[in-house]
Amino acid sequence: MLVVATLTASAQTVAHSSSTTATAAAQDDDPDMDPNRAQPDFSLVNLPTGLRLPRHKMAFRVTHRFGRPLGQGDFGDLASDLFGLDSGAQIGLEFRYGLIRGGQVGIYRTSDRTIQFFGQYEVLSQKAFPVGISVVANVDGTNNFRSSYSPGLSAVVSREIGERAALYLQPAWINNSNPQPQELVDDNDTALVGIGARVNLRGRTYLVFEAAPRVTGFSDGDHHVSFGIEQQSGGHVFQLNFSNGIGSTLAQVARGGLDAWHLGFNISRKFY
Amino acid sequence: MRVNAPTVLCVSLLALLAAGCDEKLSDVAGPTPNLQPTFATIQRDIFNAADSSGRANCVGCHTNVGRNPAGGLNLINGQSFNALVGVASTGKPGAIRVVPGNPGASYLIHKLEGRSDIVGQRMPRTGGPFLTPGQMTILKRWIELGARYD
Repeated sequence: MLVVATLTASAQTVAHSSSTTATAAAQDDDPDMDPNRAQPDFSLVNLPTGLRLPRHKMAFRVTHRFGRPLGQGDFGDLASDLFGLDSGAQIGLEFRYGLIRGGQVGIYRTSDRTIQFFGQYEVLSQKAFPVGISVVANVDGTNNFRSSYSPGLSAVVSREIGERAALYLQPAWINNSNPQPQELVDDNDTALVGIGARVNLRGRTYLVFEAAPRVTGFSDGDHHVSFGIEQQSGGHVFQLNFSNGIGSTLAQVARGGLDAWHLGFNISRKFY
Repeated sequence: MRVNAPTVLCVSLLALLAAGCDEKLSDVAGPTPNLQPTFATIQRDIFNAADSSGRANCVGCHTNVGRNPAGGLNLINGQSFNALVGVASTGKPGAIRVVPGNPGASYLIHKLEGRSDIVGQRMPRTGGPFLTPGQMTILKRWIELGARYD
């Protein structure tokens, strides 16, 4: 009896081991696990990229947008405030998960108590088409997702240029972009066309740029513009950025900038 | 029935989109939750009635019942619209009480916000509470929409 049990346990162990090995092999074969030098991160500054998140893997991002306008006061004032670092900041925490091959979902919360849920799915790969195309659906809600919901739908068209750069176009539609009740506004939707680029300077240092000009609908304030410099290090990307606003969800981007430049940073980490 | 992952993802995304809805006007309206950018509700909730914030009503003084309307402005039912829209102020020469489509040029707004260019006191003249920012937003929206008799 003991011999039979031992043999059964051994067989189960072998089966489990071979199963684990097969799973590991499958993950090793997943091309999404390979480093992408042209698209090292899932976002530019605020706008998404076309980078695929491997299935059942995850990534995390912290965003900071310091509230002090860089143009306020003279240079001495600015230096006294350590270029805005002494001021309060809008902080965001993002978690994303690779649900299926080419598809990812995530949640992003900013410290003004806005929560954004999003999903992204690559419908065309640049391997088979001149550009990569992903569809992104998102919805953010204020007051911890209890009021004023702003859903959006967009396409991220990306073009990798070797391993040196990637260009982006993101036509997007955002509903309820105007924070006021619809009885009080003329336009409650915004259509914008996000543009962006990430260029590898040398090694693992990149320049990033993005803008989101609104083409129709609600368009108060200035059009969103951000640029930054970033350093990739292992699974991390450290980015120092400058934006003409402190909004970072797609609906906040659609509401426009603040006519003043703000310092910020992003730190992202891939868990694979 | 086998449901594949892309289907689940697509349905989830559509559900996210369907979740959109707007902020409620009543949240903006504050102490007058039924106030809307219509003349009927402005008459009812602002001119005729005081509200829970302690703000005084307008028709306490701006009435021809038992007295001459303060500032020559009669805000009682049936009289107020014709006394406001496109009518010159008696207190400030050249000012128009309500300019349809232009709240910034409407003297009524200046008086209620207590701007520096007004003649006399900010309204209500009780010294406050005044209309809340949300109530002012709704009142301005009514003017923006053409100050209609609706």
